[in-house]
Amino acid sequence: MEEKRIGVYICWCGTNISLMVDVETVAKEMAKLPNVVISKDYKYVCSDPGQDIIIKDIKEHNLNRIVVASCSPRMHELTFRKTLVKAGLNPYYFEMANIREQDSWVHTDRVEATKKAKALIAAAINRVSFHEALDSRSVEINPATFIIGGGISGLSAALEIADSGKKVFLIERSGRMGGHVADFDLTFPYMYSAQQMITPLIQRVKSHQNIELFLNSEIKEIFGYIGNFESTIHSKDGKETAVKFGNVIIATGLKTFDPSNIENYGYGKLPDVITSFEFEKMLLNGIIKTKDGKEPKNIAIIHCVGSRNKNYHEYCSRTCCMTALKYANQIRCELPKANIFDIYADMRSFGKGCEEFYTLSSRRNIKFLMFDQENDLPKIVSANSGDNCDMLIEINEKLTGKTIEVPADMVILMVGMEARENAKEIAHAVGISMCGNSFYIERHPKLDPVATTTNGVYIAGGCQAPKEIPDSVAQAKAAAARILATIAKGSVEVEVTTACVNEDFCCGCQTCIKVCPYTAISFDAEKKVSVVNEVLCKGCGTCGSGCPTGAIKCKHFTDMQILSQIEGIMKISHLELQEA
Amino acid sequence: MDKPKLKLAVYWGAACGGCCVSVLDVHEALFTVLEHADLVFWPIALDIKYKDVEAMPDGHIDLTLFNGAVRNSENEHIAKLLRKKSKILVAYGSCAHMGGIPGLANLTIKAKIFKRAYFESESTINPDNVLPQTHYKVTEGELELPKFYNDVRPLDQVVDVDYYLPGCPPQTERLVEVFLAIVTGAQLPPKGSVIGVKEKSLCEECERKKTENKLIKKFNRPWQIQDDGETCFLEQGVICMGPATRSGCGWRCIKGNAPCRGCYGPTSEAKDPGAKMMSAIGTMIDAKEPEEINQIIEQIEDPAGTFYRFSLPGSMLRRKICKNT
Repeated sequence: MEEKRIGVYICWCGTNISLMVDVETVAKEMAKLPNVVISKDYKYVCSDPGQDIIIKDIKEHNLNRIVVASCSPRMHELTFRKTLVKAGLNPYYFEMANIREQDSWVHTDRVEATKKAKALIAAAINRVSFHEALDSRSVEINPATFIIGGGISGLSAALEIADSGKKVFLIERSGRMGGHVADFDLTFPYMYSAQQMITPLIQRVKSHQNIELFLNSEIKEIFGYIGNFESTIHSKDGKETAVKFGNVIIATGLKTFDPSNIENYGYGKLPDVITSFEFEKMLLNGIIKTKDGKEPKNIAIIHCVGSRNKNYHEYCSRTCCMTALKYANQIRCELPKANIFDIYADMRSFGKGCEEFYTLSSRRNIKFLMFDQENDLPKIVSANSGDNCDMLIEINEKLTGKTIEVPADMVILMVGMEARENAKEIAHAVGISMCGNSFYIERHPKLDPVATTTNGVYIAGGCQAPKEIPDSVAQAKAAAARILATIAKGSVEVEVTTACVNEDFCCGCQTCIKVCPYTAISFDAEKKVSVVNEVLCKGCGTCGSGCPTGAIKCKHFTDMQILSQIEGIMKISHLELQEA
Repeated sequence: MDKPKLKLAVYWGAACGGCCVSVLDVHEALFTVLEHADLVFWPIALDIKYKDVEAMPDGHIDLTLFNGAVRNSENEHIAKLLRKKSKILVAYGSCAHMGGIPGLANLTIKAKIFKRAYFESESTINPDNVLPQTHYKVTEGELELPKFYNDVRPLDQVVDVDYYLPGCPPQTERLVEVFLAIVTGAQLPPKGSVIGVKEKSLCEECERKKTENKLIKKFNRPWQIQDDGETCFLEQGVICMGPATRSGCGWRCIKGNAPCRGCYGPTSEAKDPGAKMMSAIGTMIDAKEPEEINQIIEQIEDPAGTFYRFSLPGSMLRRKICKNT
């Protein structure tokens, strides 16, 4: 075995670490540990001069393992791995000890924090001795993209990719494209016609030479991994088409909440209580009429139907407030004399042009009434003959604190958005995760909002969360851009810290197969051993801990590496005990 | 000229005697053994005193099979003595390998063991509350008893061990193979190897039907199921240590319709067979809610004794930390 020559670098991080940790003493003490050739402290190890010190030392002192004690590996692990590469070392011969987030930032006792830094660094020194060189791997990318869902998100992504000359398979479960937007009349806040936006998109998709369109079609499963997926498209007429593609965009959208269960609103019983989507249809047809063909004199709009209430959905559906204002404006134009009551919980008019739209609406003789959407829903009842209206809405109005009755001939329920009923099957088919509300989870909520934890699978539009049109389009185009970038590169680097099965030890018990969250493990019936597909594997380690024989090794997280790390921590605590 | 005969020693530490019997179980092959070897020390069978061993030159014995764990000062003394006098020292059987059944005493402490054995046990009458003493004066002189240690240790925690031959007891066939390998001067495996075993775990050999769908809603003890003799024990809810246990025994317990207890110890890739098996069992529990999972786990009788039946002192745990009362 090669001699381990370890270099240890302790970062001050300005005063971030040095205020709470005695970095100079720590550096001196770490120098005494076995195999440590050099141990230094420096103001900012991540800076260029800091990295240059490491590179110089590696060359001068023949170092073959490096430990940096500084911030979180999430911050700078990659930085220092690259430093090692520059010095001609394998990047995985590096280990980081986090003495900032896990030490100096969270403690107030300098002596104790210094002790803890020693323990963490000793652990890293112990561990790094067992680090093995790992080589980066890449896979070729099939330039075709598979898009599920022909709504505004799917169409936008498809055109973005197809226009750049790359192949797109677009599948849509229904017989028509355009999704919900195709059912809209005008869009808030600028009152553009939805039809005028969506029709040209549909036309372009239909005639695009790079887009192969599958209407009335579904998939059961997608096999493979980034760059090399395949699936079979099942069309309702029984036709099956096998396709191969390198990336996937899920743009399956969402559906509207069914308000029948909210007893107070009488939806399904009172004929003129309708949902926002039913009203949208009236607007599209240009006729606002009650069920018996009369022009309504009093129209009420109720917000937060199925949203922001523990009994239905706790989340905000994001688009309903603005849509309600759009309706109020459209009604004012169509029926200048009608009484319009906007019954809201609190008006959420964020976003470009939206608050201005609210201000504008408030000058158009629309009565705004506030209710408690969580505990005190208004109640809609049939009116008596003398009331001069069809229905009465009893509401505990929050701004005045009074219980009032609002006359109504038509009530529009601003229904919330929820995940599609088959969201789980799609998630299963492509191997992505869902949140508690059955929307798909992005890889990172802030920094990676369109990718998923499955490489090569992206999400766009309402299937990720309720959102308005520009957000959906932005997400779709972002996903398209991400995919085009990988296609342009031609290949993609895949995780190297994966699990692998040592066939000499695998007994074929198959414990690992069912615990793998990425379906990366299969059983080779001939050899009677489990096999890890290293492209699908994310290195989560679940199989390694489940494996009863120790046949599965998780690269960069081997038993020896982890145990030696623990021993390193114990060693320092032990020394401290002896001193005491 | 005849090749000089090998000098062979067998010793028992904290053991039940089964390992020594397994040596006797070579039956007629004993004659073959004796053609090639002289037994120079074997307390269960031959009247050779410790002082005779002490008088031997260092490295005098070619091969010592040390069975039993190290539980008292006598075990430790002889372990060190035999180490000095032997060219090859083999930890023979589960107790010498990882601590074995006596090693389960590490779930308690010496004081509690003495209290139970000398004061509380149903068959004990000890009105004067006498406890074993290491030295006791009588008119004829001073008597000496070995010191009973607090911890049970496997052989390699006391002396350097060349090879391990696990099993409770080891399969006699394996012993003969190992013996003949030494006699014929075959290339010996690297020091520290576990010998007389295979690399893979028991499931690889076991012919019971297995699928990936090991899902357990209820843990059963063997008598609680109508075993069909064909289906994997784990798939019938019976804990079988097979997945975490090295093969080499010929899966004899399972052939006899009893689940594996794990006497052959872990594979060379697993550090701690109990932890490994518990992790594997964790993947099999067929429940999502913490309460239900707990309720299923509660059904496992004596988890420490089940998962660490033969390996507690040699595992990462080594012992339970107990208060000295």
